[in-house]
Amino acid sequence: MYNLVIKDLKLGINPWFLALPFLIGTLMLIPNWIYFLVLQYFFWISVPNIFAQFKAQNDLVFTMTMPVSRKDMVKARVTVIVILELLHIVIAMIFGLFTFQLYPDMTYSFFAPHMGFWGLCFVMLAIFNIIFIPMFYKTAYKYGSAATASITATLLYFASVQWLGIQNSFVFETFNGNGADNVSLQITILIVGIVIFTVFTIAACSIAIKRFGRLDI
Amino acid sequence: MIALEVKDLNKKFKNFHLKDVSFQLEKGYIMGFIGANGAGKTTTIKSIMNMIHLDSGEVHVLGKNIVEHELDLKQEIGFAFGSIDFYTRSKIKTLTNVIKKFYKNWEDETYYNYLRRFKLDEDKKINDLSMGMKVKYNLSLALSHGAKLLILDEPTSGLDPAAKDELLDIFQELVVDGQISILFSTHSTSDLEKCADFITFIDNGKIIDSSEKEEFMDSYRLLNGNESQLNQLKERLISYKMNSFGFTGLIRLCDFDTSSDIKATIPSLEEIMIYFAKKEEMYV
Repeated sequence: MYNLVIKDLKLGINPWFLALPFLIGTLMLIPNWIYFLVLQYFFWISVPNIFAQFKAQNDLVFTMTMPVSRKDMVKARVTVIVILELLHIVIAMIFGLFTFQLYPDMTYSFFAPHMGFWGLCFVMLAIFNIIFIPMFYKTAYKYGSAATASITATLLYFASVQWLGIQNSFVFETFNGNGADNVSLQITILIVGIVIFTVFTIAACSIAIKRFGRLDI
Repeated sequence: MIALEVKDLNKKFKNFHLKDVSFQLEKGYIMGFIGANGAGKTTTIKSIMNMIHLDSGEVHVLGKNIVEHELDLKQEIGFAFGSIDFYTRSKIKTLTNVIKKFYKNWEDETYYNYLRRFKLDEDKKINDLSMGMKVKYNLSLALSHGAKLLILDEPTSGLDPAAKDELLDIFQELVVDGQISILFSTHSTSDLEKCADFITFIDNGKIIDSSEKEEFMDSYRLLNGNESQLNQLKERLISYKMNSFGFTGLIRLCDFDTSSDIKATIPSLEEIMIYFAKKEEMYV
């Protein structure tokens, strides 16, 4: 599986998409912005372009001719997606720390980039994975409908959660108000987000393995 | 020893059916897999590579079932789709450095020997290679991981006559010591007349014949006769064409009375393919 991950990183993915998280991460420096959008760029730009590249280069048939199992092919591809997602979120989190330093007295209209917010972001990535990965592996090369469905779901999620954050005083207090200073609460939300991300991604991977196993190439 | 054994493959698609496909390739020989476009060559090759799930049937490579020993056997198979290119914007050395990690028996020395022999420049991009060079690069990869069975899907399509001739010579050299076997599909019968030891002919998803090349051609006769002779033979002919002198038709030797006065010759592979294709048209 390690060789397959290296294959994707060396052949399939343009180095630009490994540099993009650093560039997109700087968007965290925009004061009082909707920071959910920072991760959305990964869905809008990186995912369609990377999967278009796999399709254009006949990666599926290329990989099938080599001595690798179908299960490892899926696991490696999911690992690559997770690596990119983690790269995006961790770099955005680091830029988020600078945001607090740059604008210490900012009153946030949307979610401020506290740890709890990143927990919500992990849930957004989880929603993307649970829809995109199994849908993609219905064919293992068509990514359009899988990307459309998964991106739409994440948009609905972040719009709803952000709306609640504005409209509902409890949610607002938890993420931007007094709750933001409660470190244990913030860490708990972050951990719950990471757990949801892990569970959804493992579930997505096992559904994809089953679907890909049945596929005629 | 049998290098490749294909037994009773059946696979139904919406518009196509692979029906009881069976053939064997002995170790150290070249088998040409012929058939018209859409006859089922690539589907059969995909079955051999376990890329499609069969409704029934089995494939054994070097005595082992491909479904049960897929990973081990793919170490021993060199595979190339002639018409498909992978990562064409990458340099040869980049692609090789990734591919070689997947093979236990990879030998750099062998690889560089083949690169020198085939005059392949490592720094060239796949896109900059001619069709013939791409096939040679594929062969270099396969031979460097010690492949015992080469499965090549239309490796000669798109090659100029000189490149095709050179490649066919290479195929013949590879099997000389009896360790490597080659199955290559083509719709160009002249390739096979030059280098194949065995012929497997597939038509509309069914194997028509699989035998030694001369024996295969000798089991048919091309007949030339007049219209009254056609009426006597019509039912036994595979198909026929009318012309100003009468007819030309293909018949199985077992269906032909050799003592008759109809002019009969041994057909070429191309003629056999053409008349089988015509048979399809007659029943459409």
